[in-house]
Amino acid sequence: MAHVVTPLDQPSNYKDSQARVDRSRQADLLSKSTTLYIGNLSFYTTEEQIYEVFSKCANPEDGGGIKRVIMGLDRNSRTPCGFCFVEYYTHAEALASMKYVSGTKLDERIIRCDLDLGYKEGRQFGRGKSGGQVRDEHRQDYDPGRGGWGAQAQKHEIERRREVEERYADAQDGPGAVAGGGGDWKDQGPSQSENKLKRGRSPEDEGENTRLRTRTEEDLDDNRM
Amino acid sequence: MSYRHGGYRRRYRDDYDDRRREVIETPEDRLKTTIIKFGEVDALEELPGLDKQIRNHQPLNIPNVSEAFRISVTEQPYKIPFYAALLRSLYNASDLAEGETEAPVLGRLILEDFWKGFQGYLDKVAWRETRLCIQFFAHLTNAGLISPESMTALLQSFVAVLDEFGVSHGRAKKAALSAGEGLIIAGPVLKVHSPSSVNEMIAAIHTYSESTINAKWLVALNSKVSNEVSIPEGADEVLDSLLNALNTLNEGDFSGTADCIPQPYLKGEGAQTDLPIYDLPSVLVPPEIIEVEGITSEAGSDAQIKKEEWPEYYFRVFTTDVSPDPNTPAGYVIRSTLIDTIDIFEINRKECARLLLEYPKWNLPGTFKPKPGSTVEHEPIPDKDWQLDSTVLETILGVYLVLPESSQKSISYISLMTELCKLSPSTVGPAVGKSIRKLYSALSESLDVEVSRRFAEWFAIHMSNFGFQWVWKEWVPDLSLAVQHPKRAFIRRVVEFEIRLAYHERIFKTLPAQMQDPEAFVIPDQSPSPAFDYEDPLHPHHEAAQSVLNLFRGRANAEDVIAHLDTLKNQLEGADEGHANLDSLVRSIAVQSLLNIGSRSISHLLNGIERYLALLRNLASGGISSSGGYGNNEAKADILTASASFWRHNRQMVGIVFDKLMQYQIVDPTDVVNWTFLNGSVVGQLKEIEKPLNLSAFEWDLLKGALDKANGRVVIARRKIATLRKEDDDARARAKASQGMEVDGETKPDEQDNVENPALETALKASESLVREQKAALSRTLEGFISCLAPSTGDANPSPGSRNMIGEEAWNNRDAWGRDEWNAWETWGWYRQFVRAYAPYLRIYTNTLETVSFSKFEGVNDPAADLLKKLWHIATGQE
Repeated sequence: MAHVVTPLDQPSNYKDSQARVDRSRQADLLSKSTTLYIGNLSFYTTEEQIYEVFSKCANPEDGGGIKRVIMGLDRNSRTPCGFCFVEYYTHAEALASMKYVSGTKLDERIIRCDLDLGYKEGRQFGRGKSGGQVRDEHRQDYDPGRGGWGAQAQKHEIERRREVEERYADAQDGPGAVAGGGGDWKDQGPSQSENKLKRGRSPEDEGENTRLRTRTEEDLDDNRM
Repeated sequence: MSYRHGGYRRRYRDDYDDRRREVIETPEDRLKTTIIKFGEVDALEELPGLDKQIRNHQPLNIPNVSEAFRISVTEQPYKIPFYAALLRSLYNASDLAEGETEAPVLGRLILEDFWKGFQGYLDKVAWRETRLCIQFFAHLTNAGLISPESMTALLQSFVAVLDEFGVSHGRAKKAALSAGEGLIIAGPVLKVHSPSSVNEMIAAIHTYSESTINAKWLVALNSKVSNEVSIPEGADEVLDSLLNALNTLNEGDFSGTADCIPQPYLKGEGAQTDLPIYDLPSVLVPPEIIEVEGITSEAGSDAQIKKEEWPEYYFRVFTTDVSPDPNTPAGYVIRSTLIDTIDIFEINRKECARLLLEYPKWNLPGTFKPKPGSTVEHEPIPDKDWQLDSTVLETILGVYLVLPESSQKSISYISLMTELCKLSPSTVGPAVGKSIRKLYSALSESLDVEVSRRFAEWFAIHMSNFGFQWVWKEWVPDLSLAVQHPKRAFIRRVVEFEIRLAYHERIFKTLPAQMQDPEAFVIPDQSPSPAFDYEDPLHPHHEAAQSVLNLFRGRANAEDVIAHLDTLKNQLEGADEGHANLDSLVRSIAVQSLLNIGSRSISHLLNGIERYLALLRNLASGGISSSGGYGNNEAKADILTASASFWRHNRQMVGIVFDKLMQYQIVDPTDVVNWTFLNGSVVGQLKEIEKPLNLSAFEWDLLKGALDKANGRVVIARRKIATLRKEDDDARARAKASQGMEVDGETKPDEQDNVENPALETALKASESLVREQKAALSRTLEGFISCLAPSTGDANPSPGSRNMIGEEAWNNRDAWGRDEWNAWETWGWYRQFVRAYAPYLRIYTNTLETVSFSKFEGVNDPAADLLKKLWHIATGQE
């Protein structure tokens, strides 16, 4: 076990430069985290494909499940730019993904998972200069799945691209742009006349927002692959 | 990743500091690590050096060394014989320097301390650690370090567990394995010491195993749909395999042990008689620890959920010349060690794969064929010389396919197999191919539906990792089988799973033309897109739907949409279109329009649901404009129907939408269960498969989703209560303590205890209502299966073939089975899975559910009813 080999469910060395927490606080948060950062996705991979793979690590019978998938988008073009967040209801599920899914293929690319501090408003967008991820700014190789795209591309791939380009054209900025995914069961009581039409946000989001404010100005580091 | 330099240093100060803080390894840590890494190159050559290093370590800390032994034994089971050899070596007298007096034997001190650790595992009822320590003690008995009397007594105390009143199968199984594996190893010495004790122990395990025949039948991998309890031939149940191996060894007075397990401690010295023999203290196996504090359920019993209550059958892929027969001593030992390795190294599949492929070096030379191209001299042992990769793969598949569920998640085994393939593609690849073909052919031999479902899951994920390359051509002839034949159902399922992981065109092009043909019912010709019923401008309600759609598009607030739906309903009423149920129609228009807005991605779906939660709850509560009420069953069924219809070409999305509708409490799990039994089969792209009800893997997934949701909520609620109770207790304790200090001991505990925490009260109430929902969902599922499989006249969804295919005779006639019979066959399979997988939950409510569901069959002569009852009784532990 842990004495003989290193477990795969350890978080990486990555530190979100925009999260205002120190190392030990970060370690503490990650040890309870239910969110994963997923990297090296093809730009064409859909949330449904991601859901399919990550639902293999869900423990619904233990009160878990996939809460939501947040697709990482190019800041300018509002198209997927090769990363996403998967949020579960329980920490154990995030660890299972680290052990069993990270390093396997999705859509014929080896994807990488990392425990994450949790989604914050604005983090769905790439932080690279031209809108995508930082790693794609400096990348030298030809990568058809991440925008390295040739005219000889096959028909169905072009079709997939068209769908992808339209899909998130309506993506919003600002608070409430991303759905919560549904919270714990609550007694609804007999009176159903709910007039509050403001979008319900999960309590965790609220708590975290006050705890850890994010910086609004551009920062230059999101060099996680 | 340390690519930050220069100017960045100040900024990333904490990172920088962090890197500098190195872990300081003490000499003791180093010694411990050396012991744990013992044998990485060659155990026997390293032994004298390590022996010396331990002896020379100053000052020698015995607990540190024995802890290293404990870690090594419990985390590297394949090395146990070699640690026994190391300990044996530490019993040898030290070379005394001049003037030194004889010190106590070092090995003996380590063993005594090791025992304390064993006692700790036993107290915690940590079964695997306990069992592996017993293996270690068994080797030490062979080595002459432990007295045979005390070893026999140790094993006997585990055998005694089998006679405990009401012992659970899980506990009995683990106790029997602990004793039996100890016996395999220490048999040569114990048989000489007391043949009768050895025989008695084997007989006791045998008696226990015999008593579990009904349970075995329920979880064997290919039991027939029949009222006769019979175990399929050639099935390998783990306790039976153990017994077969033990009997073989016992017949030869355990001379065979040396042929299946290395005994490096017997080399050299020979029998040394002056060793200080250790008598293991006597033990009692403590009762199982109750993990969760169960709260009183309505039935008055503690409702804590424990799994692993069944006999274990392992799927066998290869013949005995390729991989060992687990019913032989050598085969049993290999499989048991490989399984332990798989379990222990679950935390790191890459290392696990590497260690599995290194396994031969810990077994006797000649057991496995060398790697292709290996230059090492190889002398095969007759009747052994097995293929390592095939053996490893078969073992992983075996634990993966255990019923009713594997001990780890499916994906953990699948990823491990993927890792093996990456590590040694040329040898594991062909073994994968053979396994797939073997499982595929088993599909027509009554392979359990749950095994088949897991097989499909593995197949799809495996293909997704290896370029979707499969020789589909070879299964083309099977397209002539009935459309619901298990082989065709499997092909369809696999293709559907592959599409979910990739996309339609990608999978379409991997299939041969015969399978691409829509008439083959293998793959739809379209990608699984949404189907908005009101899309067509000619649809009578197209306009109405557009008006709702436009409100959603314009992000109108929910009240306005509700008001508009009221108006719409009035208009439709006036239009005199004779629509049977206007409420249903309006619900359908509203739900489908909302799903249409959310159809681009799951995120869009969730945004849509969250924005219009008030609307959805209003729809679910019944009359479009009526206020109040908990939700109306008909309305909720309409919401599910509209959702399923919208996503009828995409079953994955149906599952997701249902899950989220439950999550947002728009519908309850019971609604999903109800709906599935009445409507499940309307979903799917391949029309031929529609009605009558076919409870296939897809419907099962919907049921499972609902049941797991209901059960999971109870778990969360109980956890919350436990936390609140603990907080309460702590607060009380603190209050008491501070009061105690002030008033000097004069406390009045009674007054404080009665103050109930309001949060706790709320939590208890919530839990009560969730437990009710759990019970209702289980009850509805049972009812659904009954009305499907043993339908009374007038039942909503009878499976027309359900009675025709019970029994051996019907099975032998299966070549003539059509769609209905195979449908019924699969539904029977899911019923079987329902009762055994949810047995821990069903047992909470056994009496109530039984009265409600089975009393109507009293005195009725119906083979289907009998079979339903029989499976139920076995699963709930009454038969």
